[in-house]
Amino acid sequence: MIGWLLMLPALAAIGLGFLWPMLGLFRISLNRTAESGAMEVALTTDTYAKLIGDSYTWQLAADALGLASLTAAAATALALPVARMVRAASPRWRGLLAVLAVAPLLISGTARVVGWVAVLGDRGLINALLQAAGLTREAVPLIYNWTGVRIGLTESLMPYAVLVLIAGLGRLDPRLEQAAATLGAGRARTFLRITLPLAAPALAAAFLLCLVLGISAFITPHLMGGGRVFVLATEIYELALESVDWPAAAALAMLLLAALLLAIGLRGLLARRRAEAAR
Amino acid sequence: MGLIRGALAGAALAVGMASAALAQTPPAGRATLLAYPGVFRDNYSQVVVEPFQRRAGIQVQYTEAGNGTSAQMLGAIRAQRADPQVDVVIMDVTTAALACAEGLVEKLTPAELPVLSEIDGLARSAGGECGPGVTYDHLVIVYDTRAVNPAPAGLASLAAPEARGRVGLNSPPNILGLGMAAAIAHKAAGDWRNLNAALTTLRGIAANTQTFDPNPDGYTMVLNEQLRYAIGWNARAQFYRDQSQGRLGVVLPEEGAVFQINTINLVANAKNRTQGLAFIAHALSAPAQAAFTERMFYAPTNTQAQVAPEALNRTAAAPHYRSRVVPIDWNEMVRLRDSWNQRWRRDVVTAAPR
Repeated sequence: MIGWLLMLPALAAIGLGFLWPMLGLFRISLNRTAESGAMEVALTTDTYAKLIGDSYTWQLAADALGLASLTAAAATALALPVARMVRAASPRWRGLLAVLAVAPLLISGTARVVGWVAVLGDRGLINALLQAAGLTREAVPLIYNWTGVRIGLTESLMPYAVLVLIAGLGRLDPRLEQAAATLGAGRARTFLRITLPLAAPALAAAFLLCLVLGISAFITPHLMGGGRVFVLATEIYELALESVDWPAAAALAMLLLAALLLAIGLRGLLARRRAEAAR
Repeated sequence: MGLIRGALAGAALAVGMASAALAQTPPAGRATLLAYPGVFRDNYSQVVVEPFQRRAGIQVQYTEAGNGTSAQMLGAIRAQRADPQVDVVIMDVTTAALACAEGLVEKLTPAELPVLSEIDGLARSAGGECGPGVTYDHLVIVYDTRAVNPAPAGLASLAAPEARGRVGLNSPPNILGLGMAAAIAHKAAGDWRNLNAALTTLRGIAANTQTFDPNPDGYTMVLNEQLRYAIGWNARAQFYRDQSQGRLGVVLPEEGAVFQINTINLVANAKNRTQGLAFIAHALSAPAQAAFTERMFYAPTNTQAQVAPEALNRTAAAPHYRSRVVPIDWNEMVRLRDSWNQRWRRDVVTAAPR
């Protein structure tokens, strides 16, 4: 009982800050958009039926999932050596290195994207270096396409993966790696046979977090995609703020939320089954 | 008895005269205006809002919604339907039509707003029964005068090899993208609705396009040397041209003049309805319209506005522009928008990989 009472402020905050707006969004998704574009108050699932029956919605979902999977995998893979380095550092430096690794989170996503434009743009740093070295004559398109979005999203997801991996790897017993080395295993073998299997749950958790963030990412695809990259989040933005079709935007947002909750639920179910099997 | 009757008659006459005087003088108080941000806000505040405040004694609070698009303004007044926080809203004609259809803004009549009789027919009809057009604008090509010579003649010029990777376009459903496609269709087939006729030219331009979503806008990206060509609206382009001392070039495309109309609307159930109506009357008046045109090159919608010829010639009201208008019905465009958006993505953007 006391536990519930202590939870009341948090539950109230979640209810007011998340559930109530989500209910409002769900209510809008049941309205109808007239042919004139005006929103009509209604209670209909027509918008859901139209979106689910439209192959373009599935294409957007597939593209969003593909982008998120690739960038989540890349961010997790790139975060692993960073997390290992932080873990291997002396306690004196560990805190500072961890802060440095997640420092990009202190900068707004928009500002980071603007930074990428200066680096990857047609007149950006990389193209300037390539042309100065005589390797290319024309600008290599590194931004305003899928390539740019993949680079930007991987970078923006990496700090999250580093955070999860630092926490996950911190629980590993370093004596296991030392034992493998004592028994003659090289660094690569120790990593592949000992570290990687033990780190698998942390890697999976980091991947899942990045996947969820990647599927719902908006700023990077919007600002670095140059109008060529269409995913669910950019479509929701366009429906809400360009076409002003709020019911469709709200319905697509609800479908995205449902898919993400399903993914997290499935992951929880699998983890529980694995834990039961291990007992 | 006669004395009393005379006194009452005198008092009634005095009250009547006072009421008439009150009816002619706008009431003091305040009104809240929701309109565009940035240079529009700076200049509109100086030449329209501030003179009104001084003359009428009504305080006007200029507000913005989100990043200032008409869609976000519509979102704001939708969210405030039960308790409006805004009295007057200036938004583009397609969005205003939705607000009018949803009953978010009031219908206005000449009886209540006599200045409507001075408003140009196109601007009056654009708002339907709701708020009339308050500014005219039109689509232009902007380019970097230091890097491009000669100036591009039309939108089709953006498909030339020298423009490769240097073009910024706004995609549909943005109205710049819709207007551009309609102008090309109008030139190719004599019918702005015939998107098929525009596809070949659009694919050619798309192949040269660096970004279909210039951020923060095409004018800035040209001035930052990220682009050499972009599309934009005349008024802002003329303003930036002056600010950049001619660095930014502005061209009306030979395909025709795509008009864009901003309307001024009284929000339904506005808390300061009388003050809001007084502001609308001022914003539509000839002096305010002339002042804003001379400052920012939005063409006036009041036919009585006396604008300096050098300013008028740089607006959508110039005779050489008016004769080349692409007759887009924006309400019809709203109905076509979804299918155009799909065709754009499937048939145009795919032709422009990077």
